[in-house]
Amino acid sequence: MSTATETASTTPTPVRTGVRSAPSTGTIIRTTLLITGAIIMLIPVAWAVLSSFKDTSELAQRPPTIIPRDPTFANYTEALTSFNFLTYFKNSVIVTVAATALTLFINSMAAFALSKYNFRGRNALFLLTLATIMIPLQVILLPVYQVVANLGLVNSLWGLIIPPAATPTGVFLLRQYMLTIPDDLIEAARIDGASEWRIFWRIMMPLCRPALAVVAIFSIIWRWNDFLWPLIIAQDESVYTLPVALARFNGQQVVPFNLVLAMSVLTILPVVIIFLVLQRHILTGIAQTGLK
Amino acid sequence: MSTATAEGGASPGPTRMRSRSRWAPYLFVAPNMIVFAIFTIYPAINGFNISFFDSRNGRTFEPVGTGNYKQILGDAEFWGVVRHTAIFVIAFVVVTMVLSTALALMLNAQQRGRGVLRAAYFLPVLLSPVVVGLIWGWALERRVGLVNTITDAIGLGQPGWLIDPTLAMTCTVLVGVWTHLGFYALILLSGLQGIDGNVYEAATLDGAGTGQTIRLITLPLLRPTMLVVLILSTIAGFQAFDFIYTLTGGGPTGSTTLIVQYIYEQAFESPIRYGLASAAGVILFITIFGITLLNYLLGRRQEAV
Repeated sequence: MSTATETASTTPTPVRTGVRSAPSTGTIIRTTLLITGAIIMLIPVAWAVLSSFKDTSELAQRPPTIIPRDPTFANYTEALTSFNFLTYFKNSVIVTVAATALTLFINSMAAFALSKYNFRGRNALFLLTLATIMIPLQVILLPVYQVVANLGLVNSLWGLIIPPAATPTGVFLLRQYMLTIPDDLIEAARIDGASEWRIFWRIMMPLCRPALAVVAIFSIIWRWNDFLWPLIIAQDESVYTLPVALARFNGQQVVPFNLVLAMSVLTILPVVIIFLVLQRHILTGIAQTGLK
Repeated sequence: MSTATAEGGASPGPTRMRSRSRWAPYLFVAPNMIVFAIFTIYPAINGFNISFFDSRNGRTFEPVGTGNYKQILGDAEFWGVVRHTAIFVIAFVVVTMVLSTALALMLNAQQRGRGVLRAAYFLPVLLSPVVVGLIWGWALERRVGLVNTITDAIGLGQPGWLIDPTLAMTCTVLVGVWTHLGFYALILLSGLQGIDGNVYEAATLDGAGTGQTIRLITLPLLRPTMLVVLILSTIAGFQAFDFIYTLTGGGPTGSTTLIVQYIYEQAFESPIRYGLASAAGVILFITIFGITLLNYLLGRRQEAV
């Protein structure tokens, strides 16, 4: 942003500012490419959403139609009534909300300690945290499952919530952000007699809102969409989350595709709504927290 | 408190403060570290341990030394998985790097409608990989799929995208890129916006064209961010599983079965073979670790030059 204004104020370079003058060939090519690409990104999703309003015969039609001939909500009402859709939805909401809250809480506490205290073992703990980025769940699938099984958390929502709650990227992002907050603030609060907890909760947390928002949004997206871990832990239908239910039903021949389609759209919807509402914060937040 | 009194004597204020903040950091890091320890570090060590045991039906554990590794490395199926994973990761990383860099450069230069375009490219990042696999699986379906309607209309016929092993792998890579592109482009975009505007100004004054500016100034300055994207996309490539599970299920004839699916099948589908699953996990870890380190060191060296 500052780039554009600086350039504009000092030298009116037509290449970068391009105001008023007719668009150059480069601009036209670039815009065309960007729009074409954006359409390719959006088409499959738009087609799926439109198709979820088609009846079964229209879905099987070849060549397929783009706009539904006779838009109907039948797929949705049937999906909602013939499966325990509401149970899966509820499970997904509980896991997403609880896990995100837990992640934010323990990640920011750790980040606070790692950024604002000098203590023995600090560097070792920070390195250990970073090193765990290299040990993704996929690598240690089985041993983690065994731990969770021994703790009796298989087939429980707790088993979905707790194990992936300590995220190394969350700690890292929050720590980087907290480093930019001046230590004087903390010293001043200490002299005023504030407890360490109060400093963390009342001073640090409000100041870290942009970073917390970014971590929260990524946690929500990730947890809502997570599949491999719930697939292993949620073996009983009563604890299925939406992605697990979708994949399981898709694997069965008896479940008609129109219902899977309607459920897919309902699965996409909440995250897309959250994104559209918070779009500005998300996209600028990623840039601000310096995800690098 | 007790520490304060024990140490007392000197000015009570600062001493209390110091003793208070002596324990505080440990209490603050504890919850996160406990969860790490129980659900990441201990399992990682244990997984390494299990890889030296053979478990019949997931019950009795017998020490077999390096038996699992010997078995796995002599197994043609495993090497097939390794080959598919290597092809997937290389193709995924190369295509992702090229497209996300180009996209970020274009978005950075674009003045009008940038916000909308950015959001459009970011949309797939939000979708559940399970849904991504379902939607694309349907779009690529041979007879009623959207893609073949288009190819048929322009005279390319109706290829069996997910039936032919080579095409299925190509589709898997492209769907993977489609999902992640917006995220990496956004990271690169934030890197581009961190570049000082004066550099461009100087280049323009020196009469550098757009192409020259990008090649000689933008890309070198963007290198640290590109390194981050390279490392992240490589790790993501090795971890790919969920969208493939619903897109191709690993088929046709295992041609898109990657290592994570292999580990999952060994550990959770009968016949259950914990030892082999863990050995494959260890091999995956060493690979990811090695390649990340290599990327990092090479990236650093280039930067120093």
